[in-house]
Amino acid sequence: MASLSKGSIAALIAAVAGALCLLLESSAPWLVKFPAAWVLPATDWVGTAMEWFLALIKPAARSFSALMFYPMEAANYVLSHTPWPLVICATTALAWTLGGVRMALMAVVGLGFVLASGYWPESMNTLALVAVSVPLALIIGGGIGILANEYPRIRKPVQAVLDIMQTVPTFAYLTPLLVLFGFGPVVGLIASAIYAAPPMARNVLLGLERVEPEIKEAAIMAGGTRLQQLFQCEIPSAGQQIMVGVNQCLMAALSMVIIAAVIGGFDDIGWEVLLTMRKAQFGQSLLAGLVIVIFAILIDRMSGTLTQDRRDRHDPRVAWGILALGVLVSAAFWGSVQQPGTYGLFNPVADSVDRGLSSFTSANAEFLTALKNNVLFYVLLPMRIGLDQAVLPFTWGFAWTPMMSAALFAAGAAAGVVFTLRGQMALGVMLLIAAGMLETGISQLPWPFVLVGAGALAWVAGGRGLAILTVVLMGTILLSGLWERALLSLYLSGAAVFACAVMGGAIGLASAVSPGVWRVVRPICDMLQTIPLFVFLIPVLMVFQIGEFSAFLAIIAYAIVPMIRYTRHGLVSTPDEMIEAATASGATTWQMLKDIRAPYAAPSILLGLNQTILYAFAMLVIAALIGTTGLGQSIYLALGQADVGLGISAGAAMAILALIADRMVQGFAEERRKALGL
Amino acid sequence: MSGSETPAITCRNVWQVFGNNADSALKEALSQHETPDAAAQELRGKGLIPAVQDASFDVKEGELFVIMGLSGSGKSTLIRCISHLLHATGGEIRIDGENIVEASPKRLIELRRKKLGMVFQHFGLFPHMTVAENVAYPLRVQGVKKKQRLAKAQKVIELVGLGGREKNFPRELSGGQRQRVGIARSLVADCSVWFLDEPFSALDPLIRRQLQDEFLEIQAKLKTTIVFITHDINEALKLADRIAIMRDGKVVQIGTPADIVLRPVDDYVREFSKDVAKGQHAHVSSVMQPGEHHVYGADDPGLRQDMTLDAALARCMELYEPVPVRTDDGKLVGVVNPADLAAALQVEQG
Repeated sequence: MASLSKGSIAALIAAVAGALCLLLESSAPWLVKFPAAWVLPATDWVGTAMEWFLALIKPAARSFSALMFYPMEAANYVLSHTPWPLVICATTALAWTLGGVRMALMAVVGLGFVLASGYWPESMNTLALVAVSVPLALIIGGGIGILANEYPRIRKPVQAVLDIMQTVPTFAYLTPLLVLFGFGPVVGLIASAIYAAPPMARNVLLGLERVEPEIKEAAIMAGGTRLQQLFQCEIPSAGQQIMVGVNQCLMAALSMVIIAAVIGGFDDIGWEVLLTMRKAQFGQSLLAGLVIVIFAILIDRMSGTLTQDRRDRHDPRVAWGILALGVLVSAAFWGSVQQPGTYGLFNPVADSVDRGLSSFTSANAEFLTALKNNVLFYVLLPMRIGLDQAVLPFTWGFAWTPMMSAALFAAGAAAGVVFTLRGQMALGVMLLIAAGMLETGISQLPWPFVLVGAGALAWVAGGRGLAILTVVLMGTILLSGLWERALLSLYLSGAAVFACAVMGGAIGLASAVSPGVWRVVRPICDMLQTIPLFVFLIPVLMVFQIGEFSAFLAIIAYAIVPMIRYTRHGLVSTPDEMIEAATASGATTWQMLKDIRAPYAAPSILLGLNQTILYAFAMLVIAALIGTTGLGQSIYLALGQADVGLGISAGAAMAILALIADRMVQGFAEERRKALGL
Repeated sequence: MSGSETPAITCRNVWQVFGNNADSALKEALSQHETPDAAAQELRGKGLIPAVQDASFDVKEGELFVIMGLSGSGKSTLIRCISHLLHATGGEIRIDGENIVEASPKRLIELRRKKLGMVFQHFGLFPHMTVAENVAYPLRVQGVKKKQRLAKAQKVIELVGLGGREKNFPRELSGGQRQRVGIARSLVADCSVWFLDEPFSALDPLIRRQLQDEFLEIQAKLKTTIVFITHDINEALKLADRIAIMRDGKVVQIGTPADIVLRPVDDYVREFSKDVAKGQHAHVSSVMQPGEHHVYGADDPGLRQDMTLDAALARCMELYEPVPVRTDDGKLVGVVNPADLAAALQVEQG
């Protein structure tokens, strides 16, 4: 017994806890379902405390909001009253300066599409918000980054806060802001500034930390004051990393501005998507979604050129020429360029998409329903409520009997014994636990088992500290009464992450093996990563309507990308020397993959999984718009009712789940890295 | 030489200790132990790192002082103490008599602007500035007008042989050219004390030799006081007026190149000079004795004080009697026994 590995011990503890819960289920029902009487009204407390606090800073907030009104109006006025030829030409000129002819073409075609779609005025409204929120985010984020660099003592806490801010779901920001600032575009503005500042702060800090020590010393020895050193040497030297921050900041701001549409009838492009989606005009909503994607791609690629090491210089005269052309055209056709919103060239297309869609869905109704139901009945439902309840004559064609439960456990136990005898005890016990979880369903797992199991897993991943942190944090969720919703969220994101891991891993493997596959997959991945979260909802909604299955698909579409990328990257980046050594030893391609590349890629793949989990959590909340249960839904509901307590608590619960998952996977990845000596 | 008695740089019992509460730990260790070695031992026991231990030496004005040691010996830390990039944990460092360990931040900036220049191993060039802007930067922080500072920079750029490269960015230059920029930048503000931290170590051997020669020419022109760090014994012997050899944070020997080669204090130093062709580095004066001379006529081999041992031996290979040594203008300064010449070259076998 003394020679048991850490993993085996943890698995055994969890298995015993699970078995005890199952045995005592009938005599002590409180073991399975956490009694309502034990729940602390934490949500209310949080609500009261927050409302008190918000009321305290409300006057300041309101005057800030009034202050923000002016730049917002100004940006809005400028963008919506500038004739569109001038806007297009100015953007194209900028694109030329940044990226030459390719970028310029992209700008012309993209903005031309926006103009033709008739969503020009709405787009300009959205851009006006971005134009005000981004400088705000850059200043706040940059300032935080610089301060954290100057005062090493606050570096750790700042980084911890930035970590947390990245795991708190976007919607959760909105509720307190709503209470503070009232309805209106200014909430979107401030939410996007808050959401976009952390990536900037992170990259500024990272960039400054990575400036070569000798460059810093050279600045000191030149006799510069601290401010001269910082602004003349260190910040410019960190320019590339800071530009990565600017790029991420822009994308985050755009994404948040669009999401913020859910709280306000402000005539912007996000609102347009939401409105058409609600009216089931999917053609139009797809069109508006495309407009968003175009802006996302343009902003991303244009600001992305700033992060490149060596940029080509492009003749500024061309840029001036394009700009002059814009002025000329605007002046010449002054009268006829005033109504850019009236084009609607794609309306027929949108309508035919609608028609085509309905004929497609009705023609393939059987197949689509079958697909949806199969996944629901055979995968999602059993994971959610367990085989004992999911297997019904209606779904599987037969009823689940206690005999079957016994058979399932027996199979699990047999597998466990086999693996234990072969020396893989941890795996064996985990199979047994998996059998138990499949029988019970994730959303109905007994709470003591979840606490013990999560604690044990955390102990294996990161030692005692992480185990204690995990149990305490999960305990807070339990006591706050959000437990069931948390388990529901865990189930849906767990199912999605599992699907992503399997499919993304397979696609990543294929991409690693065949460059041809990667050539196809790569642009798709780039595209998926550029699209704001919100837009993912449109296509799934078009085909599968509102419901858990659509949410499931949307989460997968968004969260699969890191899994693909990291898997491929890990497999491809095995050092040449190791490959040569393996080849010299006579390994086949497959042996090389299995014995050399896969173990070496393990830390990278785990990091991919980590990202996938975080992405899934982020999308889970957005997916609440099209029908999920759990914490995401609570956050969304809280937003509708301006219930600060619920919004913050549910947001915190999501953040806790994400944080724990993050730390555990990082722990495993770290362990693998250490084992490989990386 | 100004003739004043104050050395350009004075280090007295300089300590640099890394770790938590290094200041108080060092004070305590020094008060409890007699010898620096014992104090260092105690600091190590507490988990602190005494990177420089009790370093003391003077650098005369206009002298080229080389600090040599392997990586981890503390030489880079020591030069950073003297240039005050690191605040020395203990001891006294005087530049032209002024204790810079206690200088105010404002005074330090002033010193760096007027007196100190530094060249770095990996150049430390600002990637976003052109060659001219990099070189002119020390003037820019002083608030010198753009036209003036670029004109001044131009002169220094010519001095280091980079004329025509002013508009290039560092990334467009080779390693050797980059270090020329680094040298030019450190010279632009007319420093009187010049720190060079392994300036040629990152360069390939041919470029290294070329830059060493040019460096000596520049030094002959400017005659600044120099502290030069290297891990290369040949470089040290070639450049130095005097060499300090460091090991594990301690200065183990200070002496002229000939001292180091001919009279190593311990096996560590001997190991360094093992592969050095001694005859090329030691001069006749190092084995010369005062003495009467016999009258030589045509047999006088014409030894000079600053001849290398190799050259001297070649001239008196067949002589057994002591031979006279003269200065360049023919004044007699001493005698050398040819047997001593040969013995000096054999020192490691003995």
